[in-house]
Amino acid sequence: MTTTSNNKPPLSRDALRDVNELALWAGQMLLQHGAETARIEQSVHRIGTGLGCDWLDVLVSPNGLLVTSNSGGEFRTRLRRVTHTGVNMAVLDEISHLTHRIERGEMNRFEVRAELERIDQLTRNYNRWLVAVMVGLACAAFSQLAGGDTAAFFVTLTASGAAMLARQEMLHRDFNYLLNVTLTAFVAGLIASAGAMFKLSTTPDAALASSVLLLVPGVPLINAAEDLIKGHMVIGVVRGLTGVLISLGIALGLLLAMSLMGAGTL
Amino acid sequence: MIEILMRDIFWSGLAALGFALLFNVPRRTLPGCVIAGAAGHGLRTLLMTGGASIEGATLVGATCIGFLSVYGGRYWHTPPAIFAVSGVIPMIPGRFAYGTMIGLLQLAQLGADTPQTVLVDISVNAIKTALILGALAVGITTPTMLFTRQKPAVKTDP
Repeated sequence: MTTTSNNKPPLSRDALRDVNELALWAGQMLLQHGAETARIEQSVHRIGTGLGCDWLDVLVSPNGLLVTSNSGGEFRTRLRRVTHTGVNMAVLDEISHLTHRIERGEMNRFEVRAELERIDQLTRNYNRWLVAVMVGLACAAFSQLAGGDTAAFFVTLTASGAAMLARQEMLHRDFNYLLNVTLTAFVAGLIASAGAMFKLSTTPDAALASSVLLLVPGVPLINAAEDLIKGHMVIGVVRGLTGVLISLGIALGLLLAMSLMGAGTL
Repeated sequence: MIEILMRDIFWSGLAALGFALLFNVPRRTLPGCVIAGAAGHGLRTLLMTGGASIEGATLVGATCIGFLSVYGGRYWHTPPAIFAVSGVIPMIPGRFAYGTMIGLLQLAQLGADTPQTVLVDISVNAIKTALILGALAVGITTPTMLFTRQKPAVKTDP
């Protein structure tokens, strides 16, 4: 357990507690915002050792993080419950920078705490209306890649943009994530089916299929693949299952909307 | 041919950009996300017009995105995942997944009277969805596995 192989001076009891908490905090933010498991383990370990610990043991579970920090024969262990709060790549970027600065020895634990507080308070980079419009445009671009015509482009743009706004409202009100996905797909499906019903486009399938793509569980599925390949089986399976459930939610919402609008037998 | 490719690159770049905003990537990395999305999907389309299967072309396109992500991560000093995640989004098999879903719905409605072509359609769509997703996953993880072979941070005996 104890390691005396390096020449680091042992941390005081307070410092060890602090470093353990800071490393855990950074790990929590990474897990919350969609980092893969290997990155979380590495970052937590580097922050802890960079701030003077001899060694850190990290356990990443789908809904919690356990960290033990060792220094000079003394150790501290702490568990933190983590809930997933949506993908935010800016946080991953900031913590990656922070980790590098700590490793270069540029920061002490007080500066790290201030920096983590700043990262925790970061507002999103993009205005919500801009995000809704751009996500609508992205899904409309999908309809073009899927061979849709110009009318399909505008139907998808409307459907996905409106669905994104509905999704933001529901996220704001803390709805269950699966209910949120299903209702968002329902909104998108409703508008896209209306486009099909009024025969606006000759390629209604392209619009229907593309309008729900804003919900595609890309990050959970990619993280699942990375985790499984790198040997983090439990969290990989959980993330894969999350992706599957989200996909089923999308299908359910879309089917409800299509059968309601009578667009199910296209 | 060139025109098809340019259209393809434009739309896939736009799709990657929209999702980059959704994932709240740092502003300075937006060009990288667009390049990754456009290059991956463009390469896939190029290979497919040359006669490659969609699964094989997806694997090559995703591997290209994986390499671009690693270099993008070094260039912009950021986690490569930012480019990988935004970049593969345009190649998501939405159309095939949709086809599978509609086919299954038809199967549930028609029961034993379901024409064989519908059954074949469902199978083909489902298999293509799974294979393309698999190709995406393998493609973007390949470079990370090749480049970052370091001792794990977590070992029982330091």
